[in-house]
Amino acid sequence: MASDIDHTLRRQTPTIALVSIATLAIGIVLFVLNLRYGSVSIPWNEFWDTLLHGDTSTYRTIILDYRLPQAITALLAGIGLSVSGLLMQTLFRNPLADPSLLGISSGASLGVAFVVLLGTATGLSVSTLSLWSTFGVTIAAFLGAFAVLLLILALSSRLRSMVSLVLVGIMIAYIAGSVTDILKFFSQKEGLHSFVIWGMGSFSNVSKAQLPFFAIAVAVGSIGSFLLFKTLNLLLLGERYAENLGVNIRRSSMLIILASGFLTALITAFCGPIAFLGLAVPHIARFLFRSSDHKLLIPATAFLGMDLALFCNLIARLPSFEGNLPINSVTALIGAPIVLWVIFHRQKVLK
Amino acid sequence: MNEVLHTTNLLIGYKGQALMPAIDVSLTEGDIVALAGPNGSGKTTLFKTLSASLKPVGGEVKLFGKDLRDYSPTERSSLFSLVLTEKPDDLFLKVFDIVAAGRYPHLGLLAKLKAEDEQIIYDSLETVGISHLVNRNFVSLSDGEQQKVMISKALVQDTPLIFMDEPAAFLDYPSKIELVNIMHKLSREKHKTILFSSHDLDLLLRHADVMWVVAPQQPLRQGTPKELVDQEIIDEYFKPIVAKDEFFWMK
Repeated sequence: MASDIDHTLRRQTPTIALVSIATLAIGIVLFVLNLRYGSVSIPWNEFWDTLLHGDTSTYRTIILDYRLPQAITALLAGIGLSVSGLLMQTLFRNPLADPSLLGISSGASLGVAFVVLLGTATGLSVSTLSLWSTFGVTIAAFLGAFAVLLLILALSSRLRSMVSLVLVGIMIAYIAGSVTDILKFFSQKEGLHSFVIWGMGSFSNVSKAQLPFFAIAVAVGSIGSFLLFKTLNLLLLGERYAENLGVNIRRSSMLIILASGFLTALITAFCGPIAFLGLAVPHIARFLFRSSDHKLLIPATAFLGMDLALFCNLIARLPSFEGNLPINSVTALIGAPIVLWVIFHRQKVLK
Repeated sequence: MNEVLHTTNLLIGYKGQALMPAIDVSLTEGDIVALAGPNGSGKTTLFKTLSASLKPVGGEVKLFGKDLRDYSPTERSSLFSLVLTEKPDDLFLKVFDIVAAGRYPHLGLLAKLKAEDEQIIYDSLETVGISHLVNRNFVSLSDGEQQKVMISKALVQDTPLIFMDEPAAFLDYPSKIELVNIMHKLSREKHKTILFSSHDLDLLLRHADVMWVVAPQQPLRQGTPKELVDQEIIDEYFKPIVAKDEFFWMK
């Protein structure tokens, strides 16, 4: 009898283990490559020397002070955005949902636009602005994103259907977007320039001092998301089934929005609006692991998000490019074909 | 026999508007009860009211002697389970995932399945006859197979009462026969109480122990299928719709 049960209920754990190990291994390799490659080329032997023996090498600053924080920021942002996107896709049962769906990143843009306008309107020169700009912009983006998040949470307690909530989110994004445009219209060239740069996204804005805070916050958001896996699994069955299985829909959707929104707000504040990672990675995870079980899918999405972000960061800094490519164009370039593929694959499977 | 559910002066509807006269019905343990009526007769409204997704306009629903709405969602999850017409549509959702989700109310924070839970899942798959489908993707199954998965989920939930909304709606004839057999097994062997709805004069109705018949603005009538046919209530309740349809074609 027991062997019957084992036989019937056996899951394909060997495949899962294999894919997990591959995902982690690729992550480590990509991480090392992120430290190795960049506009300054470092020979392998000197690279290992610097990494293993520390302070003797002249490349120390480049690797440890510049590339290391950037690589860590990239992997954290990849984890957070991908998990955040997964939560949105499950909550709204929409394969094209992503972290920006509820207007939270538009709120961040609005916050930054305010700083830009205030900076120019109060006559602060660009040099003054740049002194506090990285941190000031981060704070402004975070406040803007969080304001939208709180607004969405307040409204979600009054709305019955998920569709209305998405519509409200999109409308908020439009409002934030148009106010941002108006602010941009009145701001001066220099301010505009820094706004555009922020909008391109970057993993190099998190200073070494801010990194521990950023890491802890991403970890808190991701672990919080993982703890919601039961609710997320039940929501996949549909709202009425979930409710019948003990899910308080209103409270659960608020918790999911809070977890996803917190990660989005945090990462958008530090790295700018990063497109496509949050949309594409959950689909890759579902496909590679052939699963919709969030107990597996959340860690899988996190690690694949780390891989993809590190890969995009590497592409953006290929030695042949002068300086960094805007990270947003790289993520979109890699993410969009994946989303296209998902659309066609979905059609094929549903046939 | 034990009483599972009863209603007193229950008024169902939306925005304070009652759809039909007050309803006084009860469910007895182990019964298969059919809720039948043409489309738009208030079947779904009654169904949703009895399964706590809709507030009654008036009166009360008592489940095991306590008002339905006084239970918490968690408590309700161990008292009745649902089999609905809406289906999960996620591409990578496996049969196992859905059936195991039925066990969630009984599991802890990390949803770890104990040997006992695996036994229950296995038994329910066997009872419904789908253990060979356990690793399949849900969306790749036929309507009949999907229906069985949802019934298996309801079984795993281990509730004394099961609501099935239009369980025969998308099934072909052999699948309907199978469904009847499964319902009998659940009621006679596992003493489950089953309330199912049907908008059609379906073969399922013949196999009900008790029938509730509804029509717009008419009082709910109950009896055994035979009684209701003999009293020509079925004819009366289903006829207006047929007559109206005929009139429509004549115009």
